Amino acid sequence: MAQADIQLQIPSAAFYIEPVRAFVGNLAQSLGFSRKRVADIQLVLDEICSNAVHHGSADPTVGVKLCMRIDTHALEILVRDTGARHAGEKNWLTHDRLSEIEMNRSPSNERGHGIFIVKSLSDMHEMRPNEAGGTDVRVVFRFSKPRDVEI
Amino acid sequence: MDSTKLMKLREESGIKIIEIKTDLSSYAASDLRKVLEGLLAEKVEKVVVNLSQVSHINSTAVGALVGVAKRLRQSGGDLKICALADNLTRTFNLIGASSVVEIYESENSALAAF
Repeated sequence: MAQADIQLQIPSAAFYIEPVRAFVGNLAQSLGFSRKRVADIQLVLDEICSNAVHHGSADPTVGVKLCMRIDTHALEILVRDTGARHAGEKNWLTHDRLSEIEMNRSPSNERGHGIFIVKSLSDMHEMRPNEAGGTDVRVVFRFSKPRDVEI
Repeated sequence: MDSTKLMKLREESGIKIIEIKTDLSSYAASDLRKVLEGLLAEKVEKVVVNLSQVSHINSTAVGALVGVAKRLRQSGGDLKICALADNLTRTFNLIGASSVVEIYESENSALAAF
């Protein structure tokens, strides 16, 4: 199946999330997603990258990797951080922690909404530990109808 | 870059108005929190946040607004939000924050609600 891959790596710092959000917004728009869906994709990306930057690595130079894959049916985005913010800690998104975040989420809480947004707005999501000791978050946004892949 | 420069503060009838002229992703959300914390430190009680020039907001920024609204209410004040684009309204509704913070169509209606 035809597919196109785009890879980016940003320093693990919040400053770089905004330009990536703009890039992904332009990409999604070029792929024909509706304006509403482009906003959803940008929000999901922002939430994932924020978690990766704030919980994923203490060293800004280590970076966060983004892999985007476009095929005839969907845009898939993988965000990979490279490990715990503090030496000796496990990756930030353990099964227990995910359950705790979901159980405690409340509209009146200041934090803990990011993963809920990711789950709510993506067509498919997957979160799991990676070999680097960090977390991989993969989300898929399907096209409303199949499209050719520009290569 | 310091995005607090894109958060203009003014006052009308004793109500502080923050007009935000930048999208609120993670970096700017942190600056928004600083601006709001500054108002709390000044003992400001009534705040309107005008989001008419904002096309994106993430959960960190929504959380900052919710947190400050709750703290202001404890001292008899409040924080109200106005002029949200459709996608911002959807984000507030999705999180459930629209049931916690009062949202108005225009700055004038938010000011009048105090």
